Amino acid sequence: MSVADPILEVKNVSKTFDRVVRALDNVSIVVRKNEIVSVVGENGAGKSTLMKILVGVYQPDSGEMYHLGRRVPFPKDPLDALSRGISIVYQERGVIPHLKVYQFLFLGLEEKFTRLGRLQLGRIISLAKSVFEELGLKCNLASSMYELPPSTQKMVEIARAILSVRLMVGMDGGSEITPVIILDEPTAPLSIEERDELFNYLLNLKKSNSFIFVSHIIPEVMKFSDRIYVLRDGRVVAQHDLSSEKITEDQIFREIVGRESYYDLWTRYVSGVSAVEGGRVVLSVRNLTKKGYFENISFDLHEGECIGLFGPAGCGKSEIAKALYGEIAADAGRILVDGREVKLRSEPYVRVKLGIGYFSGETGRELFFFWPIRKNVSIVNFDKVAKKLLKMIPVISFNAEKSLTEKIMKKLRIRAPSTETECYSLSGGNKQKVSIGRWLEKGPKILILEDPTIGIDVGAREEVYEVLLEMKRSGIAMILVSDDPKEYAILCDKIISIKNGIIQTTYTNEEFRRLMEL
Amino acid sequence: MNSELKRWKTGSVVVTSTLRLVKASPAVWAIVTLIVIFSALVPDKFLSISNLVAILKNFAVTSMLAIGPTFVILLGSIDVSFIGIWMFGGALVWLLYPYLGLASIVIYPVFGLLVGLFNGVVHVKAKVPSFILTIAVTAIFAYLTTYVRNISGLLTLTVPAYDFLLESPIPYIPSSFLLALPLIVLALFIMFFTKLGTYFCAIGSNEEGAKLAGINVEKYKILAFMLSGLLVGLGSIAIFIHLGCRARVDFDPSELVRGLAAIVLGGTPLAGGMGGPQRTLLGALVYVLIFNGLFLLPGVDPNLLKLYVGTLLLGAVVVASKALKGALIA
Repeated sequence: MSVADPILEVKNVSKTFDRVVRALDNVSIVVRKNEIVSVVGENGAGKSTLMKILVGVYQPDSGEMYHLGRRVPFPKDPLDALSRGISIVYQERGVIPHLKVYQFLFLGLEEKFTRLGRLQLGRIISLAKSVFEELGLKCNLASSMYELPPSTQKMVEIARAILSVRLMVGMDGGSEITPVIILDEPTAPLSIEERDELFNYLLNLKKSNSFIFVSHIIPEVMKFSDRIYVLRDGRVVAQHDLSSEKITEDQIFREIVGRESYYDLWTRYVSGVSAVEGGRVVLSVRNLTKKGYFENISFDLHEGECIGLFGPAGCGKSEIAKALYGEIAADAGRILVDGREVKLRSEPYVRVKLGIGYFSGETGRELFFFWPIRKNVSIVNFDKVAKKLLKMIPVISFNAEKSLTEKIMKKLRIRAPSTETECYSLSGGNKQKVSIGRWLEKGPKILILEDPTIGIDVGAREEVYEVLLEMKRSGIAMILVSDDPKEYAILCDKIISIKNGIIQTTYTNEEFRRLMEL
Repeated sequence: MNSELKRWKTGSVVVTSTLRLVKASPAVWAIVTLIVIFSALVPDKFLSISNLVAILKNFAVTSMLAIGPTFVILLGSIDVSFIGIWMFGGALVWLLYPYLGLASIVIYPVFGLLVGLFNGVVHVKAKVPSFILTIAVTAIFAYLTTYVRNISGLLTLTVPAYDFLLESPIPYIPSSFLLALPLIVLALFIMFFTKLGTYFCAIGSNEEGAKLAGINVEKYKILAFMLSGLLVGLGSIAIFIHLGCRARVDFDPSELVRGLAAIVLGGTPLAGGMGGPQRTLLGALVYVLIFNGLFLLPGVDPNLLKLYVGTLLLGAVVVASKALKGALIA
């Protein structure tokens, strides 16, 4: 077989939901032997619909599928897809925390290793060992899944996908069929270093497998893919062969959104960011320490100022943010909000009362997905939506809730049919906006933002930045923790760089940009 | 023309909101179906005045047992101490009547509140699973009640002085139902018009999210248990009157099933996060209708009634939990 031999090919796939929403429109893609093919696009561009068709979760309205050059029907269900060598690793945790690594690896495949109803543990473990050795995966088979770092968990998940294909197809050693493994946003829960680790792993696995890589993080897509398909509004708007073409990140951004990328926004806003001089100090942190995470952290945050805590993943920046919000407790030091001492062990509700708002970037943790937007907004704003009955009993007014929500939706341009729309049905960007926006009318003094734009596409990102900058202009102080240097450049007046839990240097926005060559 | 349009609009609003209610709560279907079936099978018995009054009485009792614990189940915890509060609270009323006179009935809500406080604090602070905790509490109080009865040398613990409450001021409407009514209103008010209802649902559906939204989760968990105890204590007054001003002295597990069945049949899943007292009321009606209708059917052995009802409930709960998948908070 030559390198260019296609293993899997779909042609002219179309899929319509509820007869109205056209999710895919004549999409054709090819996966060749031993390559990483990326599918990129905004949320709602049709990436996941396409993947679900490939693994048999959805049936397309029309289209053709070819496997090793032969025309085949689309898979009926995931098991059917598996027997054709296609498997998927989903974005959300597919890991079962309390299983041992080898138990997880063979989950659902046990019957192939059962004799007279007894699980042949010895066979499982020796096979697991040889598979791990072959894939270059180093971890203790007997440890529980939750003990592994997130990147290793992902690797085990990928190993499991490959293994299940092999066992389903019945390959020995595996040369007949190359497994096609779909990775849906595999890097979302990982830090930068962990991402590199995962990619090195994938590059090694490429020798005997092919991958479809679904992502919206353009730099990593460019770095590791052989070819890229860009989806927009259910169509393939561009495809690139990176081995023969020279293409820039910006170009791909433009293809994804079909308009300017947020880098342009950055240049537009960055000049507008100016440190607030002489503003009141709203937050003072003095010698804040948590053993093993961070040490002697001190800084002052002024009204309308945004301070970025910058550093590699694991440097303690996210733990500092969590300690300020009360999700974890620092061991020593002082936190003063408006000069008032905050107990280090106090819970988030104490800090909320003092005027601290928090956004973790994980809407799944913060929002109540099955509630309407209105309820998600009012839950942090009860003092605003309650009227006093007999001057004592606060009674929630539906109308007040509604008008408050409408106000926020208008301000943040949250796109939803009404205030009663349940949050699960919103797009990632709109969920993010609800999550941030609910603090807006509460008038927090301080907003702590952790990865405020993680997991959302370029277009929505731009809007989130605009909202944050507007809040900042209105006097809200912010603390930013992120993985994207450009995000710091857009939002922060001051950037504190942290390494191994210790403050290294404090940069102004300008110095930071010069340093980062932005 | 204009007024006609307005009337038509109001009509359509009523229809759509009714439809939404039916969709959200399968219990409404069950109630309609049960009424139709029993009215067709045994019309003269089922639709007789005395039977309808009996249904009303049983509805009052069932909802009074179940409406308080609903708030705890919203949290995703469970509270089965309602049997214990009902039983030993009655014994306390009987014990204290000689000293406090008519005011001794106040002991019911006070006792309920204290038990709720105890449950809440132990559950939250010592992290004891709520089912084990509250069933142990019930066992203790059931035993104490029997103990009081035994040393009293009496068959029942009755306080005849409250007999005047048995008389209902409104014909055909039993006084137990009248006593239950304000509590039903109170529970619905708390659910829909105070932050408690929302907070309980929030904690039940996403505890971490509730914490990040700045809710004092521990405090509201304890409050839910206290509210549950208080409502059960107050509701027990209605049951006390219903039983002829008598404390319940025998522990019967089917009473426990009755309360929980009303909650689950109504559509508040034991996992919490959605539902509420409004649904429990419907569930209580379903339960009462099944029991009452089966009792009237010829050929149904009354001795096996509880067995039939138990089996039916099992089926109904399975169906209800299926129908509820993806259902939203009312």
